[in-house]
Amino acid sequence: MHIPDGIVPAQVCAAGYGLTGLLTWYSLRQINKQGDPSANVPKAALLTAAFFVASSIYIPIPPSSVHLLLNGLLGVVLGYFAFPAILIGLFFQALIVGHGGLTTLGVNAAMMGLPALLAYRIFRLRRLLNSKSTEPFIIGLFAFLGGALGLAIAALIFTAVVIATVPAEFNAQAEQAAIATLTISHIPLAILEGVFTAMLVLFLQRVRPELLEGNS
Amino acid sequence: MSLAKIETYVAGRSPLHSWTPRLKLVSLGLLMFAFAAIRQLPLVLPMLGVTASIYALSRLPLSFLLQRLRYPGLFILMVVLVLPLTSGDTVLWQWGPVALRQEGLMSMSLVVSRFVCILTLGFVLLGTTPFVTLLRSLRSLGLPTLLADMTLLTYRYLFETADMLSTMQRSMRLRGFGHTRRRWFSLHKKDLQRLVGLMGTLLIRSYERAERIYTAMRLRGYGRLKQPPAQPKADAGSLLLTAIVIAIAIAFFTTELLT
Repeated sequence: MHIPDGIVPAQVCAAGYGLTGLLTWYSLRQINKQGDPSANVPKAALLTAAFFVASSIYIPIPPSSVHLLLNGLLGVVLGYFAFPAILIGLFFQALIVGHGGLTTLGVNAAMMGLPALLAYRIFRLRRLLNSKSTEPFIIGLFAFLGGALGLAIAALIFTAVVIATVPAEFNAQAEQAAIATLTISHIPLAILEGVFTAMLVLFLQRVRPELLEGNS
Repeated sequence: MSLAKIETYVAGRSPLHSWTPRLKLVSLGLLMFAFAAIRQLPLVLPMLGVTASIYALSRLPLSFLLQRLRYPGLFILMVVLVLPLTSGDTVLWQWGPVALRQEGLMSMSLVVSRFVCILTLGFVLLGTTPFVTLLRSLRSLGLPTLLADMTLLTYRYLFETADMLSTMQRSMRLRGFGHTRRRWFSLHKKDLQRLVGLMGTLLIRSYERAERIYTAMRLRGYGRLKQPPAQPKADAGSLLLTAIVIAIAIAFFTTELLT
């Protein structure tokens, strides 16, 4: 779900960079409120590298395989560091693998980073349940919502950008069919992403709970 | 492919190599945006011409570009190949239900040309500037310290983390993961649990390593020294190149807006 260079008009690229600037400023402001921000830089950087590498893991569903977006999981694990992490991850993806692009870096970062921040807020919502918030079922449920909605919102933004920038002379019926297919195909993917996020968060909670502590 | 391979030719002696990095970043960035703004077919040829001239001036071998364009090029072709078949009313050629349409063909040429030109400029920028210098230039242009530090540390540990994952995946395969025949369109809970374990372990190992790295960085004074990034002064050649490239970018912008 990366928009490559040359597909969207310059105005969309500029708007993407504007929104990304705003979201970066907001995330850094929140990070600076958390005491010594430099203490978390190595942790966030190494986890960014780990997430970047982990995005190459495929889930086998014969005869093919599915690859996860991980933006919701990033939000749940990294909190406000998720946005800079996504921005950096996409920057390296454009440079190393040729996924996405440099002019569309802003659009792609906003498309994946905004849902990641929302996933983080959703995961934190469980604190409203007070004593129940540490129960595995509740942690899993909110992690599922964060992961599933992270992908679903990113897919919606992607669809909106595609609709807004598709050539005017494009066959309307073909366009509607393509959008419907795109939307429907993302429903099972969102569920899978949610399940994977919930299982991984519960694994981390069991094995290394302090990894989630900063964001709980 | 790694960034280290992209940096194979950064030690060259072309005008693009000696261009002051900060000015190169701004000028080529502006030109990339000017190319992204092009919507008229007559501007495609000048765009390809400017890109080819800049690439020739960089003295990077053609194989460097072709190697890097191959994978993203295939991806974009998959995305836009549908355009000539579905977009527009003027049919150029028809075979049964399949019709080749002029408007779609024009849109496809425009998208592919823009894509190739923007990507080529990106590779010129990266192929002629060391990554750390590029990051320093971004810092001097206002990139926040936290982002710069995170980018540098991610870059430093990216390939080691990739090696770690590859070793872990190899051990999984040696222990039988992926060798069992599965029914089509079925997802097994055990497969998912093993992949969760794989990703979770990768995250935990990175987290533990980060704690050790942070301690080492603190001992070396990280977070106490605030040094503004030093920038080399721009020479006459760099200023001339900057003026030419920015003038070309503005010319593309104005032609696109006025015609």
